[in-house]
Formats: sequence, structure tokens, C-alpha cells
Amino acid sequence: MTPALVCEDLVKRYGDKTVVDRVGFHIDEGEAYGLLGPNGAGKTTTISMLVGLLRPDTGSVRVGGIDVAEDPVAAKRLVGYVPQEIALYPDLTARENLRYFGRLHGLPRRALTARISEVLDMVGLSDRGDDKVDTYSGGMKRRTNIAVALLHRPRLLILDEPTVGVDPQSRVAILDRVEALVAEGMSLLYTSHYMEEVERVCTRVGIMDRGRVVADGTKRELVAELGGTDRVELVLDGDVNAAAEKLRAVEGVSEVAVTGSSSLRLLVVGGRHLLPGLLSAVAEAGAVTGVEVVEPDLEAAFLHLTGSTLRD
Amino acid sequence: MRPRPVTALVLANLKRQLRDKVGMFFIVVMPFVTIVFVGMALGGGSADAKLPVAVVADTSDPVSAAVLAELESAEALDVRRVESEEEVRDGVRQGELAAGLVVTPGDTSLDLVMNQTSGSGMAARSEIDVAVGKVSAVLEATRAAWAAGASPEQADTYVRKAQEEAVAVTTTSSGRGESAEPTGFAYTAPANLLLFTFVNSMAVAAALVESRRIGMVRRSLAAPVRRSRVLLGEALSRFAVALAQSLLIIVVSRFLFDVRWGDPLGVAVVVGLFCLIATGAAMLVGALVRSPQQAPAIGPPVGIVLGMLGGCLWPREVAGEPLNTIGYLFPHSWAMDALLALSRPSAGLGSVLVEVAVLTGMAVVVLGVALAVFQRRALEAV
Repeated sequence: MTPALVCEDLVKRYGDKTVVDRVGFHIDEGEAYGLLGPNGAGKTTTISMLVGLLRPDTGSVRVGGIDVAEDPVAAKRLVGYVPQEIALYPDLTARENLRYFGRLHGLPRRALTARISEVLDMVGLSDRGDDKVDTYSGGMKRRTNIAVALLHRPRLLILDEPTVGVDPQSRVAILDRVEALVAEGMSLLYTSHYMEEVERVCTRVGIMDRGRVVADGTKRELVAELGGTDRVELVLDGDVNAAAEKLRAVEGVSEVAVTGSSSLRLLVVGGRHLLPGLLSAVAEAGAVTGVEVVEPDLEAAFLHLTGSTLRD
Repeated sequence: MRPRPVTALVLANLKRQLRDKVGMFFIVVMPFVTIVFVGMALGGGSADAKLPVAVVADTSDPVSAAVLAELESAEALDVRRVESEEEVRDGVRQGELAAGLVVTPGDTSLDLVMNQTSGSGMAARSEIDVAVGKVSAVLEATRAAWAAGASPEQADTYVRKAQEEAVAVTTTSSGRGESAEPTGFAYTAPANLLLFTFVNSMAVAAALVESRRIGMVRRSLAAPVRRSRVLLGEALSRFAVALAQSLLIIVVSRFLFDVRWGDPLGVAVVVGLFCLIATGAAMLVGALVRSPQQAPAIGPPVGIVLGMLGGCLWPREVAGEPLNTIGYLFPHSWAMDALLALSRPSAGLGSVLVEVAVLTGMAVVVLGVALAVFQRRALEAV
């Protein structure tokens, strides 16, 4: 079967700054692929090249076997793209926005009217479809933003940070909807800097940092790379930066990252046994008020691969 | 199926425009408020304000006497007899007279003295044209009757009879209050058409900046459409608003203030070209400006300054020569000249070829630059 998406060797430079550096991955038909990385890792630039908005300096993108550079219009027909920003006319209603995009996609008039009702129903906005978008909550805007991409029944759905600025209830609704779409056989590219979303929705994950995909595999594969490493979360009342310095010097500690004004994340080989050593190392810097040792997970894999946390 | 993306953009943009209450106020209400006030200030509107017109004529000559009689019968005119052409010229120059007419016995061409950029002059001219037209029609008819073999006496009788019938016809039609009231509107209507079409086009550019800022342009490009379609759709949307603004002013001023615009083809060409230039300017602002708040801060002031230079705020006769010369660097002056020329009876597209050529050149340059800049700034750098 033709993969839903293949990109190879994508490079994008602005001046002497390489924003995307030889990025390549593929998404099989019906697969949900997550692209995980901190802000500024190059995710959105990569997506811009995938959907034909930005020409890569080198490299190629094929959507459903169609080369985006050769036949952008045919390739775009297969893609439903949900940008990170709310790209909707705020002074028009959801229905009017959907009609605009439907026309842009060349959907026949009568079919479009029916399809608009369908997608509004899918995202749970049937009863608010005739209200102007600027009267919506953040979550409703996000859901409308997604509805637009579903109008033309794409084979590949690309969601760029679809839950930014959304209340927890809407977030759950969005994730449920996305999971259901994948279950129905849609291929998905999902980018986020929320680990738990990617863990929940995606079967395979690419970790992106400083313009490069540093690792790519199923969650199990990525975590397995960590070997016997545990993740340790420390809550500290005192100077976290001084504490981080001390911890780095401890034998068995491979990574230390400051995750907040009073919290630290560590990767430690044999975490349980090393715990007393860790506590005495930070004693000078402050009083430890909480410790948690977590089995290896994506969060730990990410720290291991990039040396940083997702939300920094 | 192919034009659908363009239609989609135009429909969405027009719908947004209609929802913008402040914008619509400036398009629908403001132009007429301005036309009414400035028009009245320039000596239009009120019935008792007759246009002072001086005539040099020798009443012993039957043709001169007939012209004079026709002029004196025109309600809108206050006809004064003067002795010399010199007096007429002085009066017009000093603004005491709207226009003057010198009738030389035996000479079929009459000398009209007026200021071409004055509203009252324009109004007086159309009155004079009507009066002279009536006299010349009588002369023509009489000559035709002679040529057909009638004796001078018979010819006179026929023509007088025909005139009486014609008068009967005019009387019935004038029952609808079609008093030939002179209007300063003849000047302010075209002036405000240009002013508001341009200023509002610049203001509309804010919507374009907003579309770029919220990522609408970008997302539209992610749909299976060519870039050129999106570009065309955005440009056509601005053009449609400019054209609608112009048409609104033409139609309303025609029926409300009885403004004669002249040859429809000529007016369509001049206004169409001007709208293209305004579209280009709007696209340029839309491409260059970053925040939607900047567009209304930059656009309308530019539009107003260009309007001032082009004689859209006050008649150019009151501005100095240097200002008027600078004005000819911009489209307003040329379009103003063309529209004023077209409003004269018997003027057509042929009478404004120079203005049309200049406006065409400006449209090509502004639109070309604007589309290229918009293409690069808004469509490629996404």
C-alpha cells in the first residue's frame, strides 16, 4: 500500500540559520504519527513544507504517492491541514467559514451543505453553527478549526498543536474525536508539545529537536533505548539551579533538567538505589519536599534524547 | 468548477465587508453627507441662488436676441448685459460671474468664458449649452424647411408650430419637478466619488491585513488551489468594493442631486480605471502593513492627502499652481479632469483620451507592483 506520507531529507534555511535539517519520516496508511518537540524545534516549518505552503531548499515530500513539488494541487486534495493558529474569519459564522473552505476545495454546492452539517455534528457544534466565530470559546474555535480540515474527507489529517489554549473539557473532546477518526482509518500527523496527548493518540513518534528528528519509533522502542534508566522528579524548596549542578556530579545521573521554579527532572540509572545519594547531594541547595521515581516513559525518552524538557 | 476559489474568496470578503458596520457607514453614509455640505457651500442646492452670467450681445441681431431671450428665460440664471468681453473676463476671474458669453453678430461660434474647475461655472455652462442648443435647433429647422422648398414665411410658421408642440412636451415632463436647478453638486459628486472610493479602498485593506495575520491567506493556500487564484480572489474583492462605492455615489447623486455624469461609457472607463488603481493601492497596503490597526492609520490619511491635491476636497482653483502641479503626479487630478470634462454636454470618451491613457498607465504600474509585492510578501513567505 502507498504510504500516506513520505518525506526525505527536508532542509529549510533562513539566511545562515538552518531551521529544518535533513528531516525525513514516513506515515503508513491509517497510522497515527506524532511529532514531538519543544517550541522552536522546527515542527511547524516542517509541516509547512509537507502541506505545500513552503518550498524546501532540498528534499522531497510525497503524499499518497504524489510529489508535492510536482503536483501540489493534487497532493493538497488528500490533506486536511489544521494550522496552529485559529484560521477562521471571526466575523463570519462557523457555517459560513465552512462554506468558504468547501468552495475553495471545489465541493459541489448541494453536497457541501450536507457535509457542513455533518462536520459540525462531528465536532459537536451543530447548535452553534450559525453564530459568529468571534463569539466562541477557545475550545469551540479549535473544534471549528478542525472541522474545516475534515470537510473534503482527506486521507491524511495534519494537526499542528490542536489543543493550545483549550479548556480541559474541549481538549478531551478533541482527542476523542481524533482517536475516532484514526479508528475509522484516517492517517494522522499530530504535533504537540504535550507528551500525554501524543502518547494517547499516536502509535509511532518522531522526536524533533533543533530542526532534526533525533529519534523515531514506537513508544516502546523509544523507551527501550533508555535501558535501565528511571525518571526521577524532585520538588525542592531552595535554589534549583544550584541543586541541578550538584546532581549532575552524582555518579549514575545522566541528565538533569530544571522543570520549574522548584522542580527538577533527572534521568538516573538504577534510580531507586541512588535515591539516598541524590537527596544528600541537594541537601545544601535546599530542602526536598517531594520525590517521585517513574518507570521509563516518553517524557524520560525525550529528556534522554534532547537533554531538555518539552515545556521550557 | 475553475472559478470557484475566486468566487469563494470574493463572497466571503464581501460578506465580511457588509458586517463591518463602521466600514459600511463610511461607504454608504459619509460620502453623501460630504456631497451635501460641500455642494451647498459651493453654491448649489438652494433655489434662490441663481448663477450670475454676463452676456455681450447686440440685440439688433435676431440670433443674438434669441440667445439672450433663451438665457433670460432660464430660471437658474441671473443674466446681466455687459458691454465688452474684457468685463466678462474680469468678472469670471474675480468669481463675481459663474460664466460669460460673447455673441458676435453674424458669427456662428460663440465665445464662452468660464473657469473649467469651478462647480458653478460647470453648472452655468450646462444652462448656457441648453439655451444655445434651443436657438441653434430653431435655426437648423428653419434652414431645413427652406431647403425643403418652403418660403421663409412658411418655414417660420412650421418651426414655430413644431416649437409649440415641443414646449407642450417639455411642460408635461417638467411636472415632475425637473426644474433645471444649478448645482454645486456637479463638482462635489465626482470629487467625493474619487475621494471616498480611494479612502475606503485603503480602509478595506485592513481586512486584508487581518486575513494575513490570522493565517487565513496561508490556510487558503493549503487548499488545492493555485496561488494565482487566491491572489485574483483577494484583488477582485477589493475591486468589487471600490466599484460598489463608485456606483453608489453615481446612482444616488444622479437621482437625489440631479448630477449629470455624462457619457456612460466614458464615465465607466474612467471610474473603472480609478477603481483598479485604488485596488492596487489597497493590495499594496495589505501586503506591506503588519497589523490591522496600522492599515486604517496609514491608508485613509494618504487617501485624503491625495484627494486634496487632486481637487477632491476643495476646487483646485483655490489651491496654488505648485500644489496642482504636484497633484498631477497622482490619479485623482487626472480622474477629476476626466469626470468634469465628461459631464459637459456632447463630451464622450473621445474627449478624455489623454486622461484615460494616463490613468491606464497608472493602473498598470500600481496594480503590477502591488500584485508582485503581495505575491512575494503574503503568498510565498508563509
